[in-house]
Amino acid sequence: MKGAQARAGGDEAFRRSAVACLDGLYGFALALTRDRRAAEDLVQETYARAFAAARRPQPEENLRGWLFTILGNTWKNERKRKRPEPVADVERLAPSRLPDPEAALDRRELRERLRAALDALPDAFREVVVLRCVEGFSYQEVASIVGCPAGTVMSRLARARALLRHSLGPLHASRPGKVEA
Amino acid sequence: MTPCDALRRLVSPYLDGELLGEDRADFEAHVRGCAACRASLEQERAVVRAVQESLPLYEAPASLRERVAELAHKPEAVPAPPPPSLPSLLGTRLGRVALAVAAVLAIALAAAMLLRAPRAASPPRAAGAFASLAVDTHLRHARGQLPLEVRSELPAEVSGFFDGRVPFQLTLPAYPVGPGERKPYRLVGGRLVAFQDDYAAYVAYQMDERPISLLVTSSERVRPEGGEAVVQGGLTFHIESVSGLKVITWTDKGLTYALASDLAVTGSRSCMVCHGSAAERRRFEGL
Repeated sequence: MKGAQARAGGDEAFRRSAVACLDGLYGFALALTRDRRAAEDLVQETYARAFAAARRPQPEENLRGWLFTILGNTWKNERKRKRPEPVADVERLAPSRLPDPEAALDRRELRERLRAALDALPDAFREVVVLRCVEGFSYQEVASIVGCPAGTVMSRLARARALLRHSLGPLHASRPGKVEA
Repeated sequence: MTPCDALRRLVSPYLDGELLGEDRADFEAHVRGCAACRASLEQERAVVRAVQESLPLYEAPASLRERVAELAHKPEAVPAPPPPSLPSLLGTRLGRVALAVAAVLAIALAAAMLLRAPRAASPPRAAGAFASLAVDTHLRHARGQLPLEVRSELPAEVSGFFDGRVPFQLTLPAYPVGPGERKPYRLVGGRLVAFQDDYAAYVAYQMDERPISLLVTSSERVRPEGGEAVVQGGLTFHIESVSGLKVITWTDKGLTYALASDLAVTGSRSCMVCHGSAAERRRFEGL
């Protein structure tokens, strides 16, 4: 009985920890699908698979990385069944499509501008930006989730940030950072 | 390609904390003296800041939250195919060999480690940076680009080199070798490696003339995470592949270790655990 209770307690902790990743998973799903309804379904499918999984990560393992990998793979399998998505058109990133870059950069507006700029990124760039810059995964973790070499993650990130910079216009020009000693 | 072209490729890894050691120092030295590269760095830093200042960028809608909560409270969720997992290195004989090496080092080192100076909490993602540094250091040493500061097969001599140079005490073990037995691998030497704003201890071993690298720091700086986690002998080993090398990280008695190797060893080395005591062998049965 004790063993069963311990398993039940472990299961509850696992599910609670998994649910805590909901916002991040939803953001990643949005980055992949660019559609709220599809993102919600993808997240729900991810949790259904995670909760039914025969092998769960141990407490010391990277639960977040595991969940993000399930989501990414579920999306890839989903896409294989459907027709391939059109390749994103980088030309759509013309700054004129975005709000006036000279307008005041309050947090809310910045967030909206950033979401629009992220939406306009090619798929492969958007997912690495969300995983690295929003979710804070290391290059190696991003590489595992996305299924590409870490060097590819690095080059995609650099290119994605260049495109974001182009879309967002001037940012914090008066706040230079320092090079660490 | 000019030096600036090459260095600008490093702006992203620099800002993401993925550029380490001498590479990081070289990058910073260049940027200090190059206005164009400094401008590139600041432009990209502004984008990173913009993202950080916009967080949280996405919030799951209430309807989804409810659906997920409902799933979480179901005693049995909808059956689904097994989820994908990170590549399992344990499925291979070489993976087991690497783990055996880590296990032997772990048990031998465990008895001799004493943390001397507590440090600030480990920053997030430090584990990935530490594993990458182990690989980077291993490769540079293997290419002959990173000379050792102490060369000796004597554990006491190499341990003595680190004394007072790293913020922890490192006492390398001497492996028990019976009459007629040969050590499965030999100690080559060590050196300091810059990590975060201090030094980590780099210890070089060789097995059949192939290099094996051990990097050691305080567990206050790095907690191993990610990869394939395997619990053996009361320790949790995280096994992953970084840049084509196998890296095993673990924490024990206040210190964190990363073992990097290409695993290109010949023959079975699983018997390496037999070089420990009988009690130690029992701890690692099944590796």
